[in-house]
Amino acid sequence: MKRNKSMIIAFAGPATLIFVAMFVYPIIRTVIMSFFSIQEITDPISKWTFNGFGNYVSLMQTPLYLTSWVNLFKIFFIGGVITLGISLLMAVVLKSGVRGKGFFQAAIYLPNVISSVAMATMWIQYVFNSSYGFLTNFFRTLHLDGLASIQWLDADHKFWALLLSYCFGMVGHFMLIWVSGIERIGQDYYEAASIDGATKVGQFFYITLPLLKGILRTNIIMWSISVSGFFLWSKLFSPISADTSTVVPMVYMYDKLFGAENTGDVVRDAGSAAAIGVMLCIFIVVVFTIVNRLIKDEDLEF
Amino acid sequence: MKSKVKEPRVSSFNLKKELSLVPGYLLLIAWVGFTAIVLVWVIAASLGTPADIFSGTVFEFNNGVHPENYARAWISSNVSVYFMNSLVYAVTSCALLILISAPYAYVLQRFKFPGCGAIKTALSASTGVPTIMVVIPLYMIVAQLGLLRDPTTNRIVLIVLFVASKIPYTTIFLMAYFENISRSYEEAAAIDGCHPIKTFWRIVFPMAQGGLITVTIFNFINIWNEYFLSLMFVNNDSLRPVALGLFSMINGMQYSGDWSGLFASVIIVFLPTFILYVLLSKYIVGGLTGGVKG
Repeated sequence: MKRNKSMIIAFAGPATLIFVAMFVYPIIRTVIMSFFSIQEITDPISKWTFNGFGNYVSLMQTPLYLTSWVNLFKIFFIGGVITLGISLLMAVVLKSGVRGKGFFQAAIYLPNVISSVAMATMWIQYVFNSSYGFLTNFFRTLHLDGLASIQWLDADHKFWALLLSYCFGMVGHFMLIWVSGIERIGQDYYEAASIDGATKVGQFFYITLPLLKGILRTNIIMWSISVSGFFLWSKLFSPISADTSTVVPMVYMYDKLFGAENTGDVVRDAGSAAAIGVMLCIFIVVVFTIVNRLIKDEDLEF
Repeated sequence: MKSKVKEPRVSSFNLKKELSLVPGYLLLIAWVGFTAIVLVWVIAASLGTPADIFSGTVFEFNNGVHPENYARAWISSNVSVYFMNSLVYAVTSCALLILISAPYAYVLQRFKFPGCGAIKTALSASTGVPTIMVVIPLYMIVAQLGLLRDPTTNRIVLIVLFVASKIPYTTIFLMAYFENISRSYEEAAAIDGCHPIKTFWRIVFPMAQGGLITVTIFNFINIWNEYFLSLMFVNNDSLRPVALGLFSMINGMQYSGDWSGLFASVIIVFLPTFILYVLLSKYIVGGLTGGVKG
């Protein structure tokens, strides 16, 4: 027993210390900082001045910041329906007995292993390009000139271009998780349903969907976590400065910390940046709570 | 050797069944086909000239094939520097992560000790915490200590951050793996008087090989593609990893106009994780579909 004790201390001690230093301490400090007025990120504590909820209040009165949340909610809801919906559809198709399941599965997951910068470059420089791009050529071939002439990267369409390309990459990840859920549903349910004459569509709504409730819950929470960290794609679509069609809270926070290159309306302020972090955390906690309330799976065991 | 019993799965051809699958096939083929077109186009563009790209005729190679685009990207656009940086960050971090997280996951999974429940809960909770919740105080400390001024300490800071930020994920992943390894080996070793630390490294650790490989692949891919932490903490152009380097190249592209070089860089950055994926996709797909709880 004593030897086990020495092993537990040797194995768990250093890792726990690193964990506390990387997560526990910074999280507490970020929460405290969000109530202070701190100009430069490197200012010592003696230069902090207590500001109560001032950082939160002034953020909520900043139009660009509010826009960033509107964009985040649009990505969360619209993107979530698209990504979770298409990935579920893909998973069901893959499990319906198609040949080459392994290949299709791997090919659809592929965008997740590639650098987002490389992925987004392919979308921005090729797919969305208005003169030689994929979409333009594709719609021109189909003689859909209205669609072919869309400027995907102008202010009106940029957000949708961003959302479309982001969701395309995320589908693979969620698809695999749906697949793992479907694989755990016993084949006998489907066989029994087939014998009773249920159609494939009927089987989907009456067997697959109810039994995937737990996975749906996990997926919504995971989606909220990835959306709250939305940063790089927004930067890639608006590389120089945050613009209203693609700004998200994290981009705004980054400008708050290090200053924007050319906009005068973002004042450097580390306290507000911390407040943005806290608000993103609250967003995840709220989603988590709501989803756990709405989707209960106590009634089903399989 | 155990002989596997093969189930007669899709091999029998049934016209009615195949017809009902047609819409599914169309969807899959359209999706994968689109991905393939984009990839092939980027490869063609990386071998052509900017003139071919802008006239929309990348597949005709009117101006010849230019593999030297890759050499130019590799050397004069500094892709080699970014590439080596990412390689160093990813390999070092992955090795350290295994050394720290495997024993950690083992004791958390196998033993009950004061605080072990709290640690497990805290580890899972931290996987949902946005990075921006932790970076501000960390940046403060690192900057106040002046660690970003010297390239060597800056490099160490980055590796420490990559390792520390991936400890919860790696530990949770490996805990699930250790759960499936029988305790009987350890009991036998204990009876023989083997010290538990030695038992772990000599017996349990090698048995967890599959899980260690899978989690290392995920960590490697994530660190190779990492962007946000490097953006905040890299203070020197020569320390940039690939994602950051590629991003700055894209922004410079409006002035240099070397589009084929840009696409060549995209392919260079894309290749390592792609090759890893093609070779090891079984581990990746298995790792994702195996351990998810509803």
